[in-house]
Amino acid sequence: MALPAFGAEIDSSHVLSTRTAFGIEETGTQLLDLSWQPRVQWRFEDGGRLTGIARLRFQQEPGTRPGDIERGSYTSVSRPALIGDTAELDLREFYYERSLGDWYLTLGKQQVVWGKSDGLKVLDVVNPQSFREFILEDFDQSRIPLWIVNGEYAYTDQSGNDWTLQLLWIPDQTYHALPKPGATYAFTSPRLVPKAPSGIVTQLNDPQRPDRIIRDSDVGLRLTGFVGGWDLSLNYLYQYYNQPVLHQKLNPGGIVTITPRYHRTHVFGGTFSRAFGDWVARGELGYFSNRYFLTENLHDDDGIAQSAELSYVLGIDWSGMTDTFISAQLFQSRLTNDQTGFTRPEVDTSFTFLARRMFWNDTLTTEVLWIVNTHDGDGLIRPKLSYDLDDNLEVWLGLDVFYGNHQGLFGQFADNDRVLLGVKLGL
Amino acid sequence: MHIYIRFILLWLLVAPVSAMADKLPSGDEIANRVNARDEGVAVARNLTMQMTDRRGKTRTRKTRGFRKYYGDEKRTVIFYLEPSNVKDTAFLTWDYPDIDKDDDQWLYLPAMRKVRRISASDRGDYFLGTDLTYEDIKLETRISIDDYKRRTIGEDKVDGHHCYLLESIPVDDETARELGYGKVEQCVDNKIWMVRRARFWDIRGKPLKTAYFRDIRQVQGIWTQHRIEVENHKTGHRTLFLFSDVDYRQGVSDTLFTQRALRRGL
Repeated sequence: MALPAFGAEIDSSHVLSTRTAFGIEETGTQLLDLSWQPRVQWRFEDGGRLTGIARLRFQQEPGTRPGDIERGSYTSVSRPALIGDTAELDLREFYYERSLGDWYLTLGKQQVVWGKSDGLKVLDVVNPQSFREFILEDFDQSRIPLWIVNGEYAYTDQSGNDWTLQLLWIPDQTYHALPKPGATYAFTSPRLVPKAPSGIVTQLNDPQRPDRIIRDSDVGLRLTGFVGGWDLSLNYLYQYYNQPVLHQKLNPGGIVTITPRYHRTHVFGGTFSRAFGDWVARGELGYFSNRYFLTENLHDDDGIAQSAELSYVLGIDWSGMTDTFISAQLFQSRLTNDQTGFTRPEVDTSFTFLARRMFWNDTLTTEVLWIVNTHDGDGLIRPKLSYDLDDNLEVWLGLDVFYGNHQGLFGQFADNDRVLLGVKLGL
Repeated sequence: MHIYIRFILLWLLVAPVSAMADKLPSGDEIANRVNARDEGVAVARNLTMQMTDRRGKTRTRKTRGFRKYYGDEKRTVIFYLEPSNVKDTAFLTWDYPDIDKDDDQWLYLPAMRKVRRISASDRGDYFLGTDLTYEDIKLETRISIDDYKRRTIGEDKVDGHHCYLLESIPVDDETARELGYGKVEQCVDNKIWMVRRARFWDIRGKPLKTAYFRDIRQVQGIWTQHRIEVENHKTGHRTLFLFSDVDYRQGVSDTLFTQRALRRGL
């Protein structure tokens, strides 16, 4: 729908969607999610565009309600508004964009997506993420948009190669939204949360979060180019890592207080992708200069230890058969500090496999995604069947199966296997 | 005597046809004439795609597309405008004249918020749910020279227009498998050197689909097809392409054929 108004053309659309998940081990409804997402775009005569996307969600089931995630990780200007116990209203995105000479500016609340990997993230860390459903929700929905000044400068070098330099200034100190203890997808793996010895009382303090708009803002820089058939990028981000570090302190009386704090890190990285016949090779690498991980080292007084982290992914896609797409990825994360006692392995390796096939002129899509962690032997299998009933109406059926022991990233949710039914209507 | 008269009459009937057949241009000559036709350096146009399954259910996609030649290199970009579930999807191709160099192709999927590099070798795959393959889309009104051996097999009429019948056979089995075609027969209008009808057979020799190119008229002095009708005989699925607001003169910015443009949309 397009209407002229005040020198601008207005374009609007809406997406209505529902997802219902039924637990398999723990029977009953695990998730009941009804969402309305309106999108409005104003186009001005000078070429500028103003885009607003809101989301009103009703989430009925205890454990996955809006109040079941830590809302203190949001700044007040980015935090969704709670409506009762079961609904939240979120201004998902609101940005103005236009060309200015060789620059293209995007100002406002937005998502900036870096990286070439699927399913797991290395460089896609500019925006934080909601872990309300761990990594099961679509990233487009779980990624938390931030208020960002985003400028892109385009130029062509003497050889005719096309380059883009992106500069980011992110004054919005919103970080990962983590489930509260007891929520359906609350973290319990010792990789992520400290375990108190029996008899020890723990007390979780409010997070100590950066709050100085200028000094605590993040900055980013990315150079992307297309050279000799290769898509390349160099990335740099100076950020507060989005996941809080859980500093522990033993107090008189045997009470352990846990204080979540955010720490700065430099992120240096790069990406590549290139097609070779039926194959596409792609990869990304990120070096995080200053990460903190839980440790069980008895000589450590706050339960965490510092290390740099090198993460990378190598992926290969194959589309040599009609309407078929097959992809495999290797993820690896290495800690440079070789001290023993980290609750996660020094080298952590995961693989992902994705197979997708389309039928009936792309109206029926079948796919299965398998993510496996080789250290803990746990993983996640996600088959999905979706069908376009109409131009604007999609129905789908999916299965999320976690396996492995409860110590692992995926195994911690081994009791959360679920069957999902979804409907998505575009208007 | 009577036999001689019969023979002479038969000779009088056959001789002109035979002479005419000898005068038909060769397959390569026809293909070269088609490919030499002016397509304009650049074009902007709207394209509505209607896809109808054998039960009569129709899906409609509205797009805006741009194409520009850089010498012999061709760049094409398509932005999806409607419906909402595919809105902002965009597809970019850089098509190189060197046959040994694969095209570069990128797809932007708004749900992923990423431009994805895609393999260009699956040219026999059907383009986003239509009955035209990626190769068909890429060729537009042109004829692939390197993939086929061709010959002229006669003449016909399509929609009242006289045309030469051009039969093309893939040069080898591998090419046939890549394209998904075992044979193509095109009816080429010998006045404007455009294909009016194309029949396709699969690699087993069975009828696959028929395409009609209609509503061909001049836009800014360039012959332009405004309607493509395709019926897949195996599936009963049909595709209708409707072109509108075709403009060869407005100027198409080079920045449209970049990954940045895919992300930002129109």
